[in-house]
Amino acid sequence: MDNEKRKALIAKIKTRLSRPMRYYLDLCTRCGLCYDTCHVFYGIPRKEYSPVGRAEVVRRIYKKYFRPSGRIFPSWGDAKEIDDHAMDELLDAAFSCTGCRRCMIHCPFGIDTPFLLSIAKVLLIENGTAPEELTMLADGAVEKGESISEFKEGYREVIRDLEKEVAKRIGAASPDGLIPLEKKGADILFVGLAGAHSIVNPAIIFNKAGASWTLSWFEAVNFGAFLGDPEKMQRIADRVVKEAIALGVKEVVIVECGTAYRIPKFLLGPLPFKVSSIVEVIHRYLKEGKIKIKEKAVQEALTYHDPCQLGRNAGVYEEPREILQSICADYREMTPNRAFNWCCGGGGGLVALDNEQFRIKSGRAKYDQIVATGAKIVVSACENCIFQLDTIKSGYSMDIEVKSLTELVAENLA
Amino acid sequence: MADDIKVDVTMDLKGLKCPLPVVKVSQQVKKMQVGQVLVAETTDPGAHADFPAWAKTSGNEIINIVKEGDASKFFIKKLK
Repeated sequence: MDNEKRKALIAKIKTRLSRPMRYYLDLCTRCGLCYDTCHVFYGIPRKEYSPVGRAEVVRRIYKKYFRPSGRIFPSWGDAKEIDDHAMDELLDAAFSCTGCRRCMIHCPFGIDTPFLLSIAKVLLIENGTAPEELTMLADGAVEKGESISEFKEGYREVIRDLEKEVAKRIGAASPDGLIPLEKKGADILFVGLAGAHSIVNPAIIFNKAGASWTLSWFEAVNFGAFLGDPEKMQRIADRVVKEAIALGVKEVVIVECGTAYRIPKFLLGPLPFKVSSIVEVIHRYLKEGKIKIKEKAVQEALTYHDPCQLGRNAGVYEEPREILQSICADYREMTPNRAFNWCCGGGGGLVALDNEQFRIKSGRAKYDQIVATGAKIVVSACENCIFQLDTIKSGYSMDIEVKSLTELVAENLA
Repeated sequence: MADDIKVDVTMDLKGLKCPLPVVKVSQQVKKMQVGQVLVAETTDPGAHADFPAWAKTSGNEIINIVKEGDASKFFIKKLK
């Protein structure tokens, strides 16, 4: 690595040194309490896969360039120069963490390790060594925002096919208008994902509830956030914000995708519309009597996996439980659950990377939790979690069914 | 028109969850020679925007799209 590149990387670190960041960098006492809180360390007990192990990779570089002791006596505090080896360590640290923040709630000082690892991610982007898959997905999403008018007709055509499926499942006479697009003045803008299931099941629920809604042209997931690129994250998020404002909707409803929900809900500042998760909307429709479900229709033992970004990082705990306890006769909690639930290992964009064996090992805590419940059906409310739970299922040859909450509700509407 | 295209690689991406269809296509195209054609079959409605957007940013070309029932076949030519 040449000096010019090193200088550029050091300058990049400086841009991230806010007061909270310096607090997290300076405060750790290496007590080690975080080790046993990380699902990756549970499955792969190596220091580099502990929260403090990851954070130290960043801290050593910070000490070298931003602390007097690191500059004068680098060996005292393990201060480390930025070089190619350090960049490899940063890559492993940043993309072995799902950003679940289970370590943060156990840390006596509340150190936010995923936030600290945002330094690693911006350095990897600056160095040109960020994961190619996430860079490609983020670039594609930004491009889609720029050129959406070119893609509308093809998308509209496949949505018409999905309308026929919705009509069949709800017994509607005509499929026309069952999945509205560009409906100005609708109450709700629903943001789905690429897969048909992420559109058809919510569409069934919206139609059954008699909702005034319209489907977004865009997918909810934000690969700019997973990549750790603040500018791309903002541009990807802005696509939906602009669309919602142009349509004049009152509420943006996000599909089962934890990060996609958390970004507009908490990270974009004040918005001229309400942001809800589809889980909250289903819960609301049930409370208001707009939809009815077949009570206790599912007889098999069922458990719920709290998605970290919807639960621990956004506080949506009780709505999914109340929905599921209505549908199933034998609801079982995982232990621990809610804020202390184990991450499944699929967040942070990790499911987009070529790392299946790593994810199977790091899913060990979730496997043990599921087995302990004795449940035959595992439900979650995040596409990443569903994907990872399926990986755990096949990796450990589990005799379980993995279901999305929205899918389960759509299948059991009265 | 689709019958006239010489296809070098075919990928069945039906039923894969987000974001695997685009990731798999991107990985496969990297292994191919310039000028070769990949056919990616998917059931994702989002692919109708995601694949063209990926092709634009990666400098490749979608030369044809054929719908067959619930699935769509994307004919992708590697340009660089």
